[in-house]
Amino acid sequence: MTAAVERAESVSRRGVLAGAGALATAACVPRSGGRGLRFWAMSYEGDYAPLLMTAFTRATGLDVDVQSVPWTAAHEKLLTAQAGGSLPDVFMLPAGWIGEFAMIGAIAPVPAPALVADLVPGVLAPARVGARTYAVPWSVAPQVQFYRRDLLAEVGYDAPPQDWAGWRRMGHALKRRRPDEFVFLMLLNWPGALLGMLFQSGARLLRDHDTRGNFRTPEARAAFAFYLSLYAEGLAPVALSTEVQDPLAAFGQGRYAIWPSGPTTLLDLSRRQAEIPPDRWGTAQLAGPRGPGPVPAINACLCVSAATAHPAAAWALVRHLTSAANELRFQRMIGTLPARASAWHVPRLAGPVIAPFAAQMRSVAPVPMVVEWERIQIEVQLVAERIVRGLTTIDQGLAAIDARVDAILAKRRALVEAGAIA
Amino acid sequence: MTRQERTAWLFTAPVLAVIALVFVLPTALALGLSVTDYSIYALADWSALRFVGLGNFTGLLSTPLFWRALANTALFAALGVPMAVGASLAAALLLHDTTVRWAPFWRVALFAPYVTSVVATAIVWRFLLNTRFGLINYALGLVGLGPVDWLGDPHASIPAILLFVTWKIFGYNMIVFIAALSAVPADLMEAARLDGASRWGRFRHVTLPAIGPTLLLAAVMSVAGFLQLFAEPYVMTLGGPAQSTVTVLYFMFDEGFKWWNLGQASAVALILFLAILAVTIVQTRIGRRYEWL
Repeated sequence: MTAAVERAESVSRRGVLAGAGALATAACVPRSGGRGLRFWAMSYEGDYAPLLMTAFTRATGLDVDVQSVPWTAAHEKLLTAQAGGSLPDVFMLPAGWIGEFAMIGAIAPVPAPALVADLVPGVLAPARVGARTYAVPWSVAPQVQFYRRDLLAEVGYDAPPQDWAGWRRMGHALKRRRPDEFVFLMLLNWPGALLGMLFQSGARLLRDHDTRGNFRTPEARAAFAFYLSLYAEGLAPVALSTEVQDPLAAFGQGRYAIWPSGPTTLLDLSRRQAEIPPDRWGTAQLAGPRGPGPVPAINACLCVSAATAHPAAAWALVRHLTSAANELRFQRMIGTLPARASAWHVPRLAGPVIAPFAAQMRSVAPVPMVVEWERIQIEVQLVAERIVRGLTTIDQGLAAIDARVDAILAKRRALVEAGAIA
Repeated sequence: MTRQERTAWLFTAPVLAVIALVFVLPTALALGLSVTDYSIYALADWSALRFVGLGNFTGLLSTPLFWRALANTALFAALGVPMAVGASLAAALLLHDTTVRWAPFWRVALFAPYVTSVVATAIVWRFLLNTRFGLINYALGLVGLGPVDWLGDPHASIPAILLFVTWKIFGYNMIVFIAALSAVPADLMEAARLDGASRWGRFRHVTLPAIGPTLLLAAVMSVAGFLQLFAEPYVMTLGGPAQSTVTVLYFMFDEGFKWWNLGQASAVALILFLAILAVTIVQTRIGRRYEWL
């Protein structure tokens, strides 16, 4: 396993260098002329995708120019590319952006139902807009908690409790034993943790056909109160990702005992075993108000540009990348979990590390299908940061979120009232 | 039109054409955009585009974050311009002194940050400013000052970024000032010294009037630069903590390119343009009064 990852890593580095070279040439020839496809993917998917391309190139004779896009710049880069007519033939999208890119006409509907057969339940719903399917799910990323087995054992826990009250009690026990360290690695500009709590507490975040904010509810208030308590009681750091530059190192050094995160953290943990040996950590489902509940997943999908000059080749590439065998190869390389149901039959995915992911995968919260959702999440987190820093109270904050969300959704509201969109 | 005039037009035509294409036309289009509600819905379907008149401007005035961005930008400019110009002038005066050895080396060393990539230097500065392990807090600790959470405290984030920006850009104006200082008449300086003028008196009455125009230029360029601050907060703090380093340009970038509300972003651009124009007019008025123009 280690050797495979190390090999994968070294090849990927070469791939990235090759990609940089290809980028330099692409700057002169923006459109890949002749026989070749362009492919963009975010983060690790982009870094490691070249390893899946050799087999495709061998079978079809088509070269694929892979570009890795950082998550922080992905949304604007893709939108700008669509406006400028320079989208690649095939690209990755998180499931939450599909509605938006389908609406602006950037992506083509899936031509063959066979491409979206044999999928894990629930992953296809976000890829459907109206009666059509616009993307092929590539991986599922249910959020779980990674925990430090050794630190929890010091205070008498085998695994983290699954309900909020127990979770916080465990946090206090850890904090008493190591007062200088924190317990929960939740940074103030990562929207995942709070969003998960909002959905677990059963809050319906938008109302009136998703045209207005609906945050002034007892459920949302409860989630905010719990989130705030973790910071107020010193269990989580009042810090941004710009300050904690290497979360894995911090987790390895024991500065945090609990890290809510997704499957790609498995890659970090396996390639940096020197910092944190495999017997020191485990995974568990995220704690909810009264036990685990539905949490949004950040599933990755593959889309084909509506403007591609080679639709057949592009869909062939999608078929290649989303085959059960290749999704399992990718699972070994970067940790992402396969979206094909048949891929889940291998024994490797039945182990204790993956089991919490599999359980959480069966309980996924549906996020509102509005194009502004990505922005709303970020606005919610910005207000949460102000609450944690004591610049505003929960009630003022929730009212501010509703006002902000109403403003963001104003255009959508006008279009819905005019009957232009459903 | 005389033959000479025709030739003149012929020579300037290519430049004028380029300016019209890459400056006048986009500016006019941005003006047009600023009175529409161009958003992602218009990108999908042109029929969703509406003329909203001054709606974007009134909308901006009721957006708390826009006001916060304006206040942050004003603070950046008010603190940053004196800091940057002062540092440049101080460094130039030091290097201009004849007793300084290895002057070319110091010039290069102090100019180097200006030509180094902002992303690379920002990463180094993020390490320097780290609360727990940073060199700056270590140095403060030696003189007994408590650790400052530079990038995590909304009150310390602007000073932290100003430190970084000043270090990054002061080399450019320093070179300009060194050039200007070498034009200060030596005989005047000599005469002032013989007449018993103090060090401050010589600076105030001989050096300063001679480099006045340069000082004005540096101030105008620095104000325009600080009002358009973007890259440094973008790579250092992503606008945080608690949006304390969101500048007007950062706000415009988020609205326009991240969320594709180009109508509103164009309105921001127009307001920023007017603000820079107003400040520059005030500066040139002051310059005229001292006959620096």
